[in-house]
Amino acid sequence: MLETVELSKSFKGKTVVDGVSLYLDQGESVGLLGPNGAGKSTTISMISSLLAPTHGDVLLRGKSVIKHPQDIRRVLGVVPQEIALYEELSAYENLQFFGRIYKLKKTALESKIQEVLEIVGLRERQKELIKTFSGGMKRRINIAAALLHNPQIVIMDEPTVGIDPQSRNHILDTVRYLNLEKGTTVLYTSHYMEEVEQLCKRMYIMDHGKVIASGTKEELGRILSSEDTILLQLDAYDDAFIEEIRSLDPVRQVERTDQGLKLIIAKQSRVLSSIVQSAERHSVQLINMHVHTPSLEDVFLHLTGRTLRD
Amino acid sequence: MVPVFLAQWMKEKRSPYMVLIFISISIAAALLFGSNMDIKLKIDTFRGEGVTVEEAERWIDRLNESGAFIFSLRAEEESLADVRQGRSDMAVRLLKDDYRIIAVMESTNVELVQQHMQAVYHEEFRIMAAASHAEDELEFREAMKTYMEQPPLKLQSSTSSGSELRSYDMRLQLLFGFSLFLAMLTVGFRVNAMTAEKISGIWNRVILSPLTKTEMYLGHLTYSTLIGIVQITMVFLLAKYLFGFSLGHSFGMLAMIVVLYTMTIVAMSMLFTGILRTPEQFGAIFTSIVPIMPLISGAYMPPGTITNDVLLFIGQFLPLQHALDALIGVSIYEQGWTDIYLPLAKLLLMAVIFFGVGINLVERRRL
Ligand SMILES: Nc1ncnc2c1ncn2[C@@H]1O[C@H](COP(=O)(O)OP(=O)(O)O)[C@@H](O)[C@H]1O
Ligand SMILES: [Mg+2]
Repeated sequence: MLETVELSKSFKGKTVVDGVSLYLDQGESVGLLGPNGAGKSTTISMISSLLAPTHGDVLLRGKSVIKHPQDIRRVLGVVPQEIALYEELSAYENLQFFGRIYKLKKTALESKIQEVLEIVGLRERQKELIKTFSGGMKRRINIAAALLHNPQIVIMDEPTVGIDPQSRNHILDTVRYLNLEKGTTVLYTSHYMEEVEQLCKRMYIMDHGKVIASGTKEELGRILSSEDTILLQLDAYDDAFIEEIRSLDPVRQVERTDQGLKLIIAKQSRVLSSIVQSAERHSVQLINMHVHTPSLEDVFLHLTGRTLRD
Repeated sequence: MVPVFLAQWMKEKRSPYMVLIFISISIAAALLFGSNMDIKLKIDTFRGEGVTVEEAERWIDRLNESGAFIFSLRAEEESLADVRQGRSDMAVRLLKDDYRIIAVMESTNVELVQQHMQAVYHEEFRIMAAASHAEDELEFREAMKTYMEQPPLKLQSSTSSGSELRSYDMRLQLLFGFSLFLAMLTVGFRVNAMTAEKISGIWNRVILSPLTKTEMYLGHLTYSTLIGIVQITMVFLLAKYLFGFSLGHSFGMLAMIVVLYTMTIVAMSMLFTGILRTPEQFGAIFTSIVPIMPLISGAYMPPGTITNDVLLFIGQFLPLQHALDALIGVSIYEQGWTDIYLPLAKLLLMAVIFFGVGINLVERRRL
């Protein structure tokens, strides 16, 4: 439905988006993940036709967005990273303004305003001024304002930055509602791994302007390695026990730790019962056993050597 | 365009204090600083060759009997030095039965003094001519004087439309000066709201909507223009109907000047918006420069006070200067279209240039 082809942007010779190719199928919910400064917002600006790319193109159903910006503007709702609202006006008045610029007629506008207020759960507060709202409530109205014209594609740029958990949950629910109930195609940008894991089937990970990995959560997990880590907490053990563990087929590596052993094993091998049996044979007390499957957080760490929040 | 305009208006309705305060200040300042300042303009005179002190004083008494001026006798060198160094507009050399006005440049005041003196001399010569035929010259003169109080034919210094300029209404000039100045602040801040919207991201949202950029600019600029016009008009109406100011013969012409002036300052604010990057910079620099403008234009001082060449030159580029000239021309000197078309044309030219450059700077900055 929507794709970018080798999208690049330089500001005064400094490349901030570098050959980004990504796609969104109709009805999909896709994550765009990356630390601050990765180039996510710049990419979004180019997709939404606000910023001309230095190289590359954005295609909507195969047609260039750069040449025909009106096409994407009609079907796209953008929730900007900043709170793009009139602080001095009420929530209702803001939505009225953003509805009017989409040329919604009076009655349609009124029902649409109430509908989007319902979606973000702020109907009772619509008469209050934006400047009296909490950060989370502002973010919710910021989202509502992008939904008034029934967009088929919604792009959200870090909609949950620095807000209370209640508003955050509300926003995550809103995204799910839009995607699952209304069939809206969603591109969800964040630097919170958990959110993207929860909301999106597929994701792109950006760093320093480049897409460094992409795919489903499982596919990305596989990038990390073909190994899992098992931490064994043991009471007392001897070298014979270690040797026996080491001789087990899937075990690649054994290390001593403060409390026991750390094993690196082939991914998804069925080794746990053998370990338990060995422990019994050697009368080693097995206090705790923890299998650690890599998270996306680890994937990012693995790919960049940094954590997302760096 | 309409939604953009309406949004600005709704913001205004929420906090109309700035406009209301500026309206009050304009009137209050005119009343406070302008009270009893129905000033007569001082004109220096000195004796030319062969003119005695008595003769000179007799002429001066006659000249001071009517009109908006106070003539006084000074030494020649002092008077001329003042004119040369720009401390005064003009000086008058009194000759035997004649006079010369010495001025560095043309001005409305020089013209008015010329008219006034010509009328007084003309009248005096007729009395003298008539008196020379009379037997008792003194008696005749007295009779003549009484007669002249209710003359069948009257000659006097007059404004373009024919009525006499009795005094210069400084209160009115202050009212104009303050209302034009404060309108610059109001309009400037309204125009700058666009920059604020660009930074907050509202502008981008509007760009993504079916609304065109032209409509967006039009919405903002129409609003800024209207709020400026409303502010100045409110001042004028209140001054006239509540405080009894006399605004002259043509409210229509004043309205035309106000509209043109407001459009020019909208364009000027656009230029400032193009030059200054952030609303904060605009707030700091615009509000420092604008209050200097009425000072350079001499809006708070009697006409002719500003004589410094540099200031006069700079004044030419200030919309306030030309609007003030035109407003004073219409309401105090009762000038018509032919007299004020030049300041109006200058305003229009400035509006076009400021706007052209301004919008280019504003648009280029976004890339
Ligand atoms: N208009 C601009 N001019 C110059 N540099 C910019 C501009 N916009 C963004 N950048 C730079 O591009 C990089 C990526 O920014 P951005 O796209 O906002 O990242 P993200 O949204 O992932 O945090 C940053 O280093 C930022 O400083
Ligand atoms: Mg960003």
